[in-house]
Amino acid sequence: MRVVIAEDLLLLREGLVRLLTDTGHTVVAAVGDAPALEAAVAEHRPDVSIVDVRLPPGFRDEGLRAALAIRARGTSAPILILSQYVERTYAAELLADGRGGVGYLLKDRVTALDDFLQAIDRVAAGGIAMDAEVVRQLFARNRRDRGVASLTPREREVLALVAEGLSNSAICTALVLAPTSVEKHITNILGKLELQPSDDTHRRIRAVLAYLNQ
Amino acid sequence: MVRRTARALAYVAAGLGMGIGAFAWCVATTAIVAVVAITHLGLPAFLVLTAGTRRLAGWERRRAGWYLGRAILTPHRPVAATTLAGRAAQVAAQPATWRDLAWLWLLGPVGLGSFLVAAVPCAVAAAAIVAPAWAWAVPNLHAPAVPALLEGTWPGRLVLCAAGLAVAPGAMWLASAAAGLQARLAGALLAPGGRQRLAERADRLATTRARVLDAQAAELRRIERDLHDGAQARIVAAGMTLALAERRVRAGPSGGEAIGDDLRLARRQLEDALAELRRLVRGIHPPILTDRGLREAISALAADSPLDVELHAGAGGRQAPAVESAAYFVVAEALANAAKHAGAEACIVEVALGDDGSLAVEVRDDGRGGADQAGAGLDGLRRRVEALDGVFTITSPLGGPTVLRAEFPCAS
Repeated sequence: MRVVIAEDLLLLREGLVRLLTDTGHTVVAAVGDAPALEAAVAEHRPDVSIVDVRLPPGFRDEGLRAALAIRARGTSAPILILSQYVERTYAAELLADGRGGVGYLLKDRVTALDDFLQAIDRVAAGGIAMDAEVVRQLFARNRRDRGVASLTPREREVLALVAEGLSNSAICTALVLAPTSVEKHITNILGKLELQPSDDTHRRIRAVLAYLNQ
Repeated sequence: MVRRTARALAYVAAGLGMGIGAFAWCVATTAIVAVVAITHLGLPAFLVLTAGTRRLAGWERRRAGWYLGRAILTPHRPVAATTLAGRAAQVAAQPATWRDLAWLWLLGPVGLGSFLVAAVPCAVAAAAIVAPAWAWAVPNLHAPAVPALLEGTWPGRLVLCAAGLAVAPGAMWLASAAAGLQARLAGALLAPGGRQRLAERADRLATTRARVLDAQAAELRRIERDLHDGAQARIVAAGMTLALAERRVRAGPSGGEAIGDDLRLARRQLEDALAELRRLVRGIHPPILTDRGLREAISALAADSPLDVELHAGAGGRQAPAVESAAYFVVAEALANAAKHAGAEACIVEVALGDDGSLAVEVRDDGRGGADQAGAGLDGLRRRVEALDGVFTITSPLGGPTVLRAEFPCAS
């Protein structure tokens, strides 16, 4: 896969380049600030861009803003945002355009290599990768919601993984469940949240996230 | 104009009364103090009489404040000494004591003078204006020729009336001027002097600065301890686990399984260290505050709180970073306390952003109250708010509710 990396800290940038190269990806550009990121994406049209939220010169949320600007141009440019901390607000902004191909993960998740690589694949394929911490914040926000409160503990676990962007088969593996029981749980959850059932995984994930974000 | 004159006349009339009373009081107290000064009753008499002087001066402050339309602040500083001599010395050392006395001495002549200047021309003008009415009713048969001509004939009375109307504005201006002069003189003597105001402000600044430096030092110690016990320890543990794994690698290919376990453990220890650091950073300065400002940061706090938080935040601009940060931590601490100690279920958070850069935050819970105001958390917040010239108030009666409020002045 062809990847663009935007990260201002040399140590982490080199680390990401090495990690992705070692796992069979091609890093077509590794840049250190937001304008360079926008230029690199326009030039290389990568399969996915991996972007640090905090970039020079302001060291605030330039990375996120650049990502939103790139996506606002209408090109399908999958972007995975990495950050030292996660905020529900930022996740909501990334998801706002209703298209897939976005991810928002804590930087720590890079160390869980297999999960990280799967998240990159999901985002590149137009799916979603939300950090478990964002999902926790969403649940905290919705704890009084009637639909969420009516879920069983198992259903909440499944819902959390759906919100993170996992497919049915990935949820089976993560929770060690049979595919049929995962499907049953998901049907129940969608019923309790009064969401339309859908065979399209991405559309379902978006519906769940939109519900939790409302 | 007429109302203003009425106010001025009321003020100078009261001033005449007060002046006579004050003059009598000054003469009497001076005499008493002079007489008893040689006995052991000197100090108590001095204290009692200065207290009386202070009370009279207080009335004068209110009277002048009423006329000037602005409160005249009291310049007296609290007397802290417990012995008689100590108290007398502190009272005598305050310039305000003597300025009060000086005004009371002055009030007699000034009150009389301003009354005459204000009241006599007004009375004459008023009398002349109504001359057609009263002179006809009470003819003065023995008056000399000119007054008799003015008062005794219709044209004369009308001339008198016209003359009264003509001088009335002058008389009214004179009344206002005399009253204003008296009030401003009172203000000048009774209000805190510029030097005293500066001294008090310097005192207050020195106190809050010392307290904020203390709070800052305590905060740095806490961060150092958190780093030492948290992230640092976890990184060291990860290093040890990796060293162990390295030894196993050197020992040969037999320990493949154990090496894998070690590496997984080291990774988890590093993840824990990062989580710890993230928690610490949030406690020092939450990144979302820098990125998006107070409203977003408080709304994130509200969403994260286990309580049912209702947030009212009006639109407004960005405040100084130190103010935003202090306000954020007031809300954070209030929400944490409400959940942890007050047993609250719901909170109302209000954020009022002024256009001039002023800011007020208020958190009201439905808990059982009785917050420990001297506790480290609340005291630290108070220091932080006061260091920014802000006002920090807690009301927390037993049974609740607890209300925390922090107000920051504009451009602090």
